[in-house]
Amino acid sequence: MSRRDALFRAVLLLPLALLVGYFLLLVVSQSAFFSPAGFFAELSRPSIRAAILLSLGAATVSSAAAVTVAIPAAYALARLDFPGKRLVDTFMDLPMVLTPVALGTLILMAWNTPFGSLLAGAGLTLPFTLAGVVLAQFTVVVAISVRLLKSTFEQIDPRQEQVARLLGCTAFGSFRYVTLPLARRGILAAIILTWARAVGEFGATVMVAGTARGQTATLPSSIYLAMAAADLPRAVALVVILITISLLVLFGVRLAAERRP
Amino acid sequence: MIRIEQLTAGQGAFQLGPIDLDLAERAYLTILGPSGSGKTLFLEACMGLLPTGAGRVWLDGRDVTGIAPEQRHISYLPQDLALFPHLDVRGNILFGAERRRMDRHHVQSRLDDLTDLLALQDIIDRRQVTTLSGGEKQRVALARALLQEPRLLFLDEPFSALDATIKRQLQVKLREINQQLGVTILHVTHDQEEAFMLGERIAVMIDGRIRQIGERDDIYYRPATLDVARFLRNQNIFDVTVEEVLDGGSLRLGGEIALTAPGRPALKTGQRLAAGIRSEEVVVIRPHKPIGPELQENLFDAVVEDILAFGGTHTLSIRLQAHPVTIEAELPNCALRDLGYAIGDELRVCLRKTSLWLVPEQAPAGRREVSDDQL
Repeated sequence: MSRRDALFRAVLLLPLALLVGYFLLLVVSQSAFFSPAGFFAELSRPSIRAAILLSLGAATVSSAAAVTVAIPAAYALARLDFPGKRLVDTFMDLPMVLTPVALGTLILMAWNTPFGSLLAGAGLTLPFTLAGVVLAQFTVVVAISVRLLKSTFEQIDPRQEQVARLLGCTAFGSFRYVTLPLARRGILAAIILTWARAVGEFGATVMVAGTARGQTATLPSSIYLAMAAADLPRAVALVVILITISLLVLFGVRLAAERRP
Repeated sequence: MIRIEQLTAGQGAFQLGPIDLDLAERAYLTILGPSGSGKTLFLEACMGLLPTGAGRVWLDGRDVTGIAPEQRHISYLPQDLALFPHLDVRGNILFGAERRRMDRHHVQSRLDDLTDLLALQDIIDRRQVTTLSGGEKQRVALARALLQEPRLLFLDEPFSALDATIKRQLQVKLREINQQLGVTILHVTHDQEEAFMLGERIAVMIDGRIRQIGERDDIYYRPATLDVARFLRNQNIFDVTVEEVLDGGSLRLGGEIALTAPGRPALKTGQRLAAGIRSEEVVVIRPHKPIGPELQENLFDAVVEDILAFGGTHTLSIRLQAHPVTIEAELPNCALRDLGYAIGDELRVCLRKTSLWLVPEQAPAGRREVSDDQL
């Protein structure tokens, strides 16, 4: 290897090593406040178990809804031509650039309009409800999902869909039998990233659904409550629980996807 | 079989057509044109993959202009083949049969036939199409297109990425498919050798329009327009004027070079033309060699200016002594060896009257189609 190549390699590896070191420092520095006994004690508390279940359940529902809506929306942005497409495309990025707290505010304000009153009248209330948690998470993650999936669909050669049409598929058939299977990895990536983002969502969830223990307090909001009460060992135990659950779920999804033929 | 009437389509600033084309059952038509001339766009418009502006497409007497691509029953082999990477080889080949719910026994029998015809025995059970070689991918894509028993097959530069040997094998196979299976083929290519080898008829497309359509020799020896002549690598093109219509109808041409050309009823004295001759039609003669009467006309003293080698042939760049003109003559290697010419040698060249072609000088400027009978 020439000196220039070695230098380039070092330029690539140095930031990576710094990042790994930084993250390790973040994790290891918690050890002063962490004890296995405290960890299991937190796990056995009903309010924490409720927070875990709420976090996992709400993140799964919101990310599933987000990906389900994002697949056709992203495909439309990737393949169709329609008036105002650029504007729509830009508009879809709005939730990604707005802070989650602002998004939560927008949701709450929208609920004070006649449209929101109509939904509230139909029994759909947001403050201190599971629906509020799911809607807040959905609003934050759906734009990420659309962006990821649009990029995935754009990478698939339209010629393959055209050939499928000439081999007997309708437009939906070519999407079903060619585009979706080819987008499988991209869809999986979208599911993983939106779920991971949803499970860690805090700002919008707190704004819309609050932090009622045993009702709408998710793991992130429980961490916030513990820190606000200066209960550091509890906050660290909750962080470890969140990290462990997230890693296990993401790793499991990845393994399951790779096993599929 | 397929009739195209005044078909137009657009993509960005590019305008295709209007195009008229008629293709009989079991015919093999090649559309030859430079890159960017609209060949792929034309196929897409015919297949319903692209919105058309005006015109109609008829298949077996049925107007299919507004019909969905899957209902036209045209098979298509695109330039990049578009094999489905998520399916194995068999899955790719059977894709259309499964979507069209064809009878299983019939499909199996058809698959067996195609496996023999396209020599797929060694690759039919492969799991990854991405690991196939270029030639293998071509055969799989061809089998996929043929499994649905198409009567009409569209080919879009299918062999452009293959080496010469495999390309020739597959070209021969395409002739078999056309002749033995009776599949009507519309094949677009920029490769002149391929177009002339495969097409019973050839259409030349330039700038989105078909400039000439005809038999091989019509296209090769009698280009209808100057841009067709240039695209077909006619190197010897001269600006001339009709000076006199001779007894017997022949034309005496003057200008850049003095020539005698076969008469054309439409041409009048004073008319400006482009005259040309293919480089392989130029006859080179040693200075003092006796010659027969057929070579007496259009005979010029000349000097060899340069010699370029092209594998099996050589091209001589020859400067005429009496005219400010340099022409090219193509000779097979063996002929050049026998004649033994070198740069600076004197020789004579004959531009045989019967080998000359003439086109109106202004023809290519407009987007005007020229038929053979205009000259």
